[in-house]
Formats: sequence, structure tokens, C-alpha cells
Amino acid sequence: MTWEKYEHDMQRCSRCSYCKYIPWRYAGNLDFIEGCPSAARYHWHAFAAGGKFNLGLSLMRGEIEIDDTFLDVLYKCNMDGSCDISCKVGQDIEPLQHIQELRIKCVQEGHLIPEHMLVIEGLRKQDNMMMADRADRGKWADGLDVKDLSREKADVLFHAGCRYSFDEELWPIARSGIRILQKAGVDVGIMGAEESCCAGRAYELGYAGELVKYCEHQRDVWRNTGVKTVVTPCADCYASFAVLYDKIGQKPEVEILHITQYLDRLIQEGKIQPKNSVPAKVTYHDPCHLGRLAEPWIHWNGKEYKPGTMPIVLHDPPKKYRRGTFGIYDPPRNILNTVPGLTFVEMYRIREYGWCCGAGGGVIDAYPDFAEWTGAERLREARAVGAEAIVSACPWCKRVFMDAAENTGDAIQILDIVELIEQTL
Amino acid sequence: MALTNDEFKALEDIVGTEYITREPVIMESYNQVWGNKLAFGHKRHNPPAAILLPGTVEEIQRIIRYCNETGILFKPFARAFENVATKLSNDRGILLELKRFNRILELDEKNMHAVVEPFVTVYQLQDAAAKVGLYTGKPGVGYTASVISLACCHQGMTISQLYTSGYGRNVLGAEWVLPTGDILNLGAAGREGGWFCGDGPGFSLRGILRGRAGANGGNGVITKCSVKLSPWYAGPPTSYDMEREPGKALSAGRLKEVPGNYHAVVLSFPTTEQMMKASTEIGRAELACIVAPSYLYTGFMEEGNDEFWAKMQAESEKDPTRISRSVLIILNGHSNRELAYRKRAVESVRAKWEGYLDEEYNDPQMLAMMFQYQMWSTGIGGLRRTGDFMVSIQGADGSTEMHLNYRPVEFEAFKPFRERGNIVQPDMGMSYRPMEHFSLGSSGGIATGYDPWDPESLAAAREYMNMVYDSESPFRRFSYTNRGAMMQVEEIEHVHQRWGPIYDNADIWLQKVRNMLDPNRVADWSGYIPPEYNTDGK
Repeated sequence: MTWEKYEHDMQRCSRCSYCKYIPWRYAGNLDFIEGCPSAARYHWHAFAAGGKFNLGLSLMRGEIEIDDTFLDVLYKCNMDGSCDISCKVGQDIEPLQHIQELRIKCVQEGHLIPEHMLVIEGLRKQDNMMMADRADRGKWADGLDVKDLSREKADVLFHAGCRYSFDEELWPIARSGIRILQKAGVDVGIMGAEESCCAGRAYELGYAGELVKYCEHQRDVWRNTGVKTVVTPCADCYASFAVLYDKIGQKPEVEILHITQYLDRLIQEGKIQPKNSVPAKVTYHDPCHLGRLAEPWIHWNGKEYKPGTMPIVLHDPPKKYRRGTFGIYDPPRNILNTVPGLTFVEMYRIREYGWCCGAGGGVIDAYPDFAEWTGAERLREARAVGAEAIVSACPWCKRVFMDAAENTGDAIQILDIVELIEQTL
Repeated sequence: MALTNDEFKALEDIVGTEYITREPVIMESYNQVWGNKLAFGHKRHNPPAAILLPGTVEEIQRIIRYCNETGILFKPFARAFENVATKLSNDRGILLELKRFNRILELDEKNMHAVVEPFVTVYQLQDAAAKVGLYTGKPGVGYTASVISLACCHQGMTISQLYTSGYGRNVLGAEWVLPTGDILNLGAAGREGGWFCGDGPGFSLRGILRGRAGANGGNGVITKCSVKLSPWYAGPPTSYDMEREPGKALSAGRLKEVPGNYHAVVLSFPTTEQMMKASTEIGRAELACIVAPSYLYTGFMEEGNDEFWAKMQAESEKDPTRISRSVLIILNGHSNRELAYRKRAVESVRAKWEGYLDEEYNDPQMLAMMFQYQMWSTGIGGLRRTGDFMVSIQGADGSTEMHLNYRPVEFEAFKPFRERGNIVQPDMGMSYRPMEHFSLGSSGGIATGYDPWDPESLAAAREYMNMVYDSESPFRRFSYTNRGAMMQVEEIEHVHQRWGPIYDNADIWLQKVRNMLDPNRVADWSGYIPPEYNTDGK
């Protein structure tokens, strides 16, 4: 659907402002009621999803044009989908998809963010979002005894993703992931330097064509390597493979798992068993792309109608909206709850209404100060529930949290669930 | 007419660069609210010339004084969930968004009151108050309603009015920046005696501050307000976390049981009239904290419209009159003994009017859901159906008898619209019922559904609304002073001018008050009364 197709939604946004907050009835602490980082950080209603509906309608009516302020509003947004979840507690409209389509429109018309142009240029030349040399992509696995699926066969492909592949500080986590799988007896391999970007982030920036291109490439790779399962430790990659590819009609033919799902399965099957005690109070941060944004895509073909003259908008056949219910929330929690000595404590904004780390939607590239502010807010929340460590399951989250902690002097321990589990084995 | 660069610079000097904007893109997000299409024919009304986020009372005073010097119109708002909040009477108007005033300044457990700033919501205050055993009334609107808007500026009724009274009557004191920029302290705060009493020893100008309909940002800025609190009989709100079954959407979260020291029951009667009589007796005897329509299935927010419709269809197939013959009673008590007494008393009223307990409606979880919706947290379910609704006719404060007499009038007046079907009232046959309570000072509103994007439905809604505003219509004085929750846009609907003569020329007095407070006519009057009527009578 193009942005104009969301006119219905633009018209029916009521300006209730629920998109700015987590669903109020679930608020455990009103100091942490904000849901949308953009609306919380910046002052004006335009920065909320509801405001963007207003801008969409005004754009359609010719009241405004796309200018620098418009782009500022549109791109200082993490695309984290908190707005979408809160809105849909009370409405049947699509705030996140509307923002997505506005971004695609901007890119198609040449309204570009310079920082994103550099990243996309890097993607087009080097197949990654880190503006790094493609030849270095497999270096993270140097010295690991792991199959190279560009030459060998394995049941499982471990897709590291761009961040793990090029962020050297995070390499140990990707390496841990491989070691754990191998310890569990999984027949696993990697693509090394031949691995490519999932293109989910590019799509979020509005570069829709990149998603199609890389989706086709990944599907070719999976087909050619003959893998049965693709496992990724990156939430962004997971959401791209499992959700966005399906959204564009290219649902993968192989099993797609985030590593937390796989580890949860391996623990339940008794193939790995956390043994070493981690005597710490730990909280878990739901990555947006593993949580609400990982909910399977729902295809719906039908028509909107009203019964007789009754003023209620219905759908034939009945339409199920993506309300975040079926994101990946339990596997990481299941894993943490198997760790001896670990005291698990929840933050206030969790699961469907988790607070973003700050990286999403290209914010980490174009507005790093905003990304860090968002990450620091999450660390503050972790502190508020007494956590000594915050655990996540995505390299983008870990990167932002590390930067935020360094710049704010927060000493909280920041862990990925993979490295935590390896400690226990 | 836009602000000149010099004017903008002067305002910028007051609040700082970060807290002012006149970017057209930003302005477009302050002029689109539900209800606009009905009022203006477009989703959009004229944007402001600038938006400011003042951070201190002094800044507000300086802004207003500058407006007095230059003739710039101003309007303050808190949460802006209605078109009267951001509509300006001319293009040379600025909005003061009060989001930087977001603190609960005092929560006095002993004297049972709280002092809040304008951006504090009812939900925030409810949450904070419940932690110390106190409660602020539950209005019929959503989570983000501002306490000060309800108490001082706008609709101030509450569903729990029987024991909390209404917001508009619970003001103990206020810090009020007048349209001249001067500060007036109301209530005891004016005498530096704390906030404990609104009627003395300091000034009590609550009637002028708010009156019945409120000035809706048209008579200055309330920067602090003390509101009376009532006892909260159960534990802290963490006890009331919403629960839902695995795989259910967030909107399916429900309170599992009615908390301790409260009791909920739905009484059903053979006829609507018997239900109304019984309700009145229970209300008058002040036995209950809430006497309200029994929402039953159709009042709750389902996952989406399709799910809601399926439930509604199933319900209407059972007995379409069941809702209109039933009433929800919520009782409270400081002790088991007090609660038991109230239960017995309600039981005797039920027996007297031949009431009975419908088993399905008195399912414990159903009662807990009703408790949640009436006492604690709700969203605005009515907006999902089409993105809009109108709070149509709503009786002004009046006796229960007035409402009882009024109900058949409204029922008949709405009949042709009901038959056409393109605007609806969601009560399955019972046209009018006081929403807020059945006791003295009864008042209520009906959320009427229509589709602003369906030309026929919109036309029907306007036709009905025009009838409501017509002082010669069957509604007569019941329509004054509001359509529903005071959401009239005065320059469109001319409510005061139409109805003032019927009410002892109240509009003239209101205009005098307005002009006395605002001699330079810089306070926006879109939701209030114009400084003078135009020569064409409007």
C-alpha cells in the first residue's frame, strides 16, 4: 500500500495521543509511561504518530510540502512500533505502516537524509549497513572451527548480520553464539564474507527496492546452501527474514529462528543446560524487532464496509490487526529463568509495550545523540527496578546501551543473552 | 495573519528558542482533532500562528502581557483531545501548550487534597492518590484528561460523582493567570493559608473561573489547582494490574476481580421505568459510589471493530431491552459491616422495584470489568468505530426528575434518526439515561455514533445537532449550555447567544465577566463567549 492508501487512517486518527505512551492501563510506574521516544524527546505533537497522520493528510491536501522540518519529524523516529501497539488498543488504524510508506515516498521523490544516503551507498557497494569493506565481513569468526557454507553443507545457517560482523567490540557475542550451538551438537555454518545484509533497516529508511533485492538474494543463498534453518542473533535480521520478506510476498521456505528461540528449544531438549550460577539481579530488554515487530505479517484481502447504514467500519472477511501480541517475548525469559542464581526482574515497559533502545529506524546513523538519549532512558528504567545488569538479544541494542552508559557514566552491566548463557555452560 | 518577525522574536526571547515554533509542518499537527469534520466540514481547522511551551508562571505572564500589548490572541491547553482546545478565533493567535507543567506538587493525605499543574492527568493523580488511600473521581473520558481542565476549564462531571462530587465542584484553590497577565489566587491559597478550602477565607470565584461549561482556555491560564480527594477503599493500584489470557491482545486485559471493600452488582428490572426509580432511590440515599448504565458486553473495548460487532450482534439477539432495564451499582465501605449494610439496603430497593439478578451480567469477572471501566482506567472505545463520535444532548445539572421527564422527549426526538440508522446511540433502545449518576445534581451525556466520512451520516449528525441547538426544538432548555461535554465551538454554534435569553440573559452577564477579565480581548473565545456579537447577530 502506498501512503495515500492510508487516508482512511489519517482521517480517523482522533488525536487521543495514546501513541505517545504505553497503554495506560498497563502502566506499572507512571515515571515510565512514555512509549514513543520521539514524542518524549522532542516537543511537538508532530513527532508522535498521530502528528504524522496529520502531516500525511495535510500533505495530501496540499496544505504543506515536504521540507527539512517534515524530514526531521519523519526521520527522528525509531520506527519501533510502540505507537502502533498503543494506538491499536483503541483503534483500527496503522500508524507504523503509514510512517513507513511516507518514508518510501520521500525516498522515491528524492527527499533524502544525507547520513542515510551514505549508509545506503555503502549497502549498495559493500552489501552492509556499516559502511565497511565487504571483504572483512567474516573476520568476526576468524579462528572458529565453523563450516563455511559457501563451500560446505550444514543444516543450520548462522546469520550474524551487519552489526555483529563489523562491530569488533561485539564479535565475542557472535562467536559465543557459534560455540553454544556447536556445544549443543548443532550442525551449523556461516556464510563468512559471502553473507549479506538483510535490508530490513534500509527498508525502514524508505529504500523499499533494497528489501526486494536482498530478500531475493537471501532466498537464493538459502536455497543454494540447502540449509533447513536460519538462526540469527540479530533481532533486526530476524524481523526482516520472518516478517518483512513475508510482507512483500517472499515468505522464506526455510525455518527462521532468532537465537533466543533456538537456545530455548535446545534447553528444553536438554542439549544445553545452564549450570554455572550468575548471582545477579537481571532485567531483560525486549528488542523491538524481536518483540512487537517480530509478530508475523498478517495478509488480508477483503473490503471495508459498514453494516447497512450503521456507523461502524467493518471488514469482510473480518480483519485481524497486528497488535504485537505474537512477538517473541517468552523464549528469552524462559532462558533467563533457567540460569542458576539469577534473579530476574521485569522493567515497567515490557513485551508489546517495551521501550526502544534507540537504534531503530536509522536514528543511530543520523541522530546518534537521540539514540543515546533513548538508550539512557532504558538504563534509567533498569536501574529503577534494581537491576544490576540489563540483558538484551540484539547487537543494536547492546551498542546503543554501551554508548549511553559510557556517556552518562552508568555502571550497569550490559549483556547480550548469548554471552550470558555461555558464561553458564 | 501571521506574526511579524519582531513579534515572534519577542515571544522567543521569553521562552527560549527550543520552546517556540511556527514551522508550518508542526502547526499542522495542532489543528486536526476528532469532531472537526462535524464542526468545520474539514478534519482541519486554521492552524495557530505559533506554539509556545512556557516553562514557568512568570513566562506565561510575560507572554500574556505581550499579547495585551500587541493584540495577539492566546489560548492555553493541556492535552488537546478536543477541537475547542486548539481552535483559535482568528489567524493571529498563539497556542500555549502546557506540557512542561507536569507535576503533582502536593498530595496531602491528612487533609485529602492534591495540588497539581495543568498537564497532570486524572490517571496520574488517581495512581498517586491510591497509593495513600485516596481517590480522585473518574471522568467519562480517557486516560489523558487533565485534572485542571476538568476542574477549572471544561467538563467537570465524574462518573463517581455520588461520593467524590464532580471535578468542577472540588476546586479548593487555584493560581490563575488572568488575561491581563496578573495572578489571582483563589480559595485559601489567596490568603497564604494553604489550599484547604475553596470557599474561604480567601476569594471564592469558582463560578467565574469555570461556571457550568467552562471557558475552555478563554479566560487565562490556570497554573496550579488544588482538588479535593476522596477515600480509596482498596489497596494501591498495583493490585489492579490488568490480566489477560495468553495470546489475547492488550485490549483484552481485564481486572480479574472487584477489589476488597468494594462490591459491584447489576440489578435488572422488568421495565426501564422501574430500573430508573430504583436507581434514583439508591442514588438519593447515597448508598452507592456509582450508579451507572450497565455496559455489559457492548460497552467494553474489544480487540477491534470486527470483534466488537460480533459481540454486539450476539448480545442483541438475546434481548435488546436487557441493557436498558439494568443498572450497575458499585458499593463501597470502610468496613465489612458498612459494606454489608449497604448491600442489605440496596437489596431492599431491588425487592421493592421487583428487580432481579441476571446471572450472566453478575458473573464475577464481568463485574470486575465494569468496576474497572467505571472506577479506574478506560480508553475511549467509542472512537474506534469510525474515528469519531459526538457527545450529543446532555442535560445540564438538574434533578433526577428532570432527567426522567426529559428522557421520553429525547427518545422521541431521536426516533427518526434511529430509524434511518446512520447515527446511533449505543444503548439498544433506551435513548437517554443520566450517565454520571442518579443522585441530586444528576447529569449525563450520550455518545452518539456517526461517521464523519460518510456524507449521509454526517448530514444526519448535523441535522440532529442543529435540532439540539435550536432553542425552539423539543429539547428546549435541556440543551443549554452545552452539547454534551461542552465541546461547542462558539463561533459555529452560537450556543450562548441562542440560549442566553431563555436563561435570564445569562449570556450578557457572561460577556460582562469575560470583558472585565480581558479588557484587551486577547483571550481566545472559541470555546467561550465572544467579547461582542457581530452585527449579523452572531
